[in-house]
Amino acid sequence: MNMNTLGLACTGSLQMAGFNLLDVILYVKETETNTIPSSRGAVFIMTDFNEQIALEDLRKLDSQSVGTVYDRYFPEVYRYVRYRVGDENIADDIASDVFVRLLEACRKKQGPQSNLRGWLIATASNAVNDHHRRNYRRPMDALSETMPDTSPSIHSEVDSREKQRLVQGALAQLTPEQQHVLALRFGQGYSLEETAAFLNKNINAVKALQFRALASLQRQIGEVNYE
Amino acid sequence: MNNLYDILEICLKEIENGADVDTVLFRYPELAEELRPILETSMQAKMLAAADPSPDVVRRSRANVMQQAARMREEQLWPSRRLWSVPLRRAVVSLAVIGALFMTSTGLVQAASTTLPGDNLYPVKRTWEDVRVLFTFNYQAREALEVAHENERLDELNDLFTEGRSAKVDFAGTVMSQDGDLWQVSKIPVLISAGTDLGTQSVKIGDAVRVRGVTQSGGTVMAEQLDFLPAGIALPDIEDDHSPAAGQEKPEDKQQQQNSGEDGSGEESGGGAPRQEATKSPQLESKIHEFSRDGVVDSFSGNTLVVNGQSMNISSAEIKGTPKIGASAKVEGYFNADGLFVVTKIEFQSSGSDGGGSVNEDGNKNNDSNDGDSNNSGSDDGGGNDGGGDNSGSGGGGGDD
Repeated sequence: MNMNTLGLACTGSLQMAGFNLLDVILYVKETETNTIPSSRGAVFIMTDFNEQIALEDLRKLDSQSVGTVYDRYFPEVYRYVRYRVGDENIADDIASDVFVRLLEACRKKQGPQSNLRGWLIATASNAVNDHHRRNYRRPMDALSETMPDTSPSIHSEVDSREKQRLVQGALAQLTPEQQHVLALRFGQGYSLEETAAFLNKNINAVKALQFRALASLQRQIGEVNYE
Repeated sequence: MNNLYDILEICLKEIENGADVDTVLFRYPELAEELRPILETSMQAKMLAAADPSPDVVRRSRANVMQQAARMREEQLWPSRRLWSVPLRRAVVSLAVIGALFMTSTGLVQAASTTLPGDNLYPVKRTWEDVRVLFTFNYQAREALEVAHENERLDELNDLFTEGRSAKVDFAGTVMSQDGDLWQVSKIPVLISAGTDLGTQSVKIGDAVRVRGVTQSGGTVMAEQLDFLPAGIALPDIEDDHSPAAGQEKPEDKQQQQNSGEDGSGEESGGGAPRQEATKSPQLESKIHEFSRDGVVDSFSGNTLVVNGQSMNISSAEIKGTPKIGASAKVEGYFNADGLFVVTKIEFQSSGSDGGGSVNEDGNKNNDSNDGDSNNSGSDDGGGNDGGGDNSGSGGGGGDD
């Protein structure tokens, strides 16, 4: 049986059991990459981490549960943030802040009722947007402009970083939604279906959004290069 | 356009699986020009994909998050304690205080009810009176209560006089007489000194005033301040039976009454006296300070002698010397409840001028200067005395006529 088919077939029962579709999709992908036999099925492995139980424990700020959730989701959140802001330290701060926001929300009983991963990524997206807004008000000088490294031995790496910086700068010019979809598709490597689940849109809408985002990014890169 | 989006997605998947852009676009030559920059951009976008965080970053960030969780756990515990404990503690303390007050208030008020000014619990008594007035909403009942309280002030004063205590007092009353520095305010002798604050208005007899002062051991109040009271304010009922042993009469008063009945010229002491005498009591008058003063006899008639303009009753006085108009007199006596000065002892001293008459022990006037004939004077006086049988001297025969 194809794993995607299995996931869709089990959606109803999984949701009743406290799992959401996104987790199932993502888990199926993990099990495929980790070469876990597909016959064991997603549900069997997912008993290792029951999101509903984890959320219940999070509301009590149970330290073990906090640690488990952190270990499970922090790399993913960090990658997402790092993709959008480009800076390692800022990404670290923002990703940590996302988990603190999760704890605050759970303490106030306003945290996610399900789909913890989706809540974390959405919160990370908002945190990055906040960061960009703050940066827009207080623009900081780019490191490369003030401290150019002209060592011949690392020219290629400098070129690569400069390209990354240009793309990063162009990415920052896109709308938050366009940045979001590119971060999910090309930063996180999520499939079209996964991205649609994150964005709560249908697949065709995500395809269109993705196309416009890439076209816009291409224009921005061209403008940056021209400047 | 949907086709374009679908083809883009197919191309992206093929590139992800290792195909290059040219190979992918070879299948879609009509869209190649449009898709090429998009696909190249997608590859640049993918170039930004970050690696997993370093272990150091994870460890540092994890410690931060766990620390925040611990802090929130602590806050979650403590606010709940504060939420419950502080209001609960306040409620318990408040209830305890209210309960203690409730338990002791009755006894406290009871104990305070007999206190006098200067006692430790006296403020409790006054406060309780104020509270009672405050929570008496019926106008008539409130007025009666205020009058009762003012009567209580007078009773307290009398008690202070009896005990000879000096204490700060204040009471309301009507000015009944003004004899120099000695006034009568609701039967209470009040001494006015130079330091007494009388305000701007001049106080007259009949004015309602509030007296603040200090009781003297002699049975007077040394006034420190007199304030006019507005019309309608509660004043002590001086005819009320708040006076101790009301209805009892002083022996001197009985004698005075008898004399007034016998003496036709004694209207001043006897005419209007009976109603007032009913409220007089030996106890009250015994508390009243006796005054001693010197003066010159202005006139005398029957039991009434006028010294320095002050009328005084000499019906029960011990008389020494011969009374004459213009003679110096040393007078000892007290003010009775009506504000009349009752002489207990009077001593006349002869002076150079002898223009007045003399007073016999019955108070009858013998005007020697006008009538050298004692018989005539006796007959005159006897006629005015309605058969005063005690007349002595030569006039007695005339009286008998």
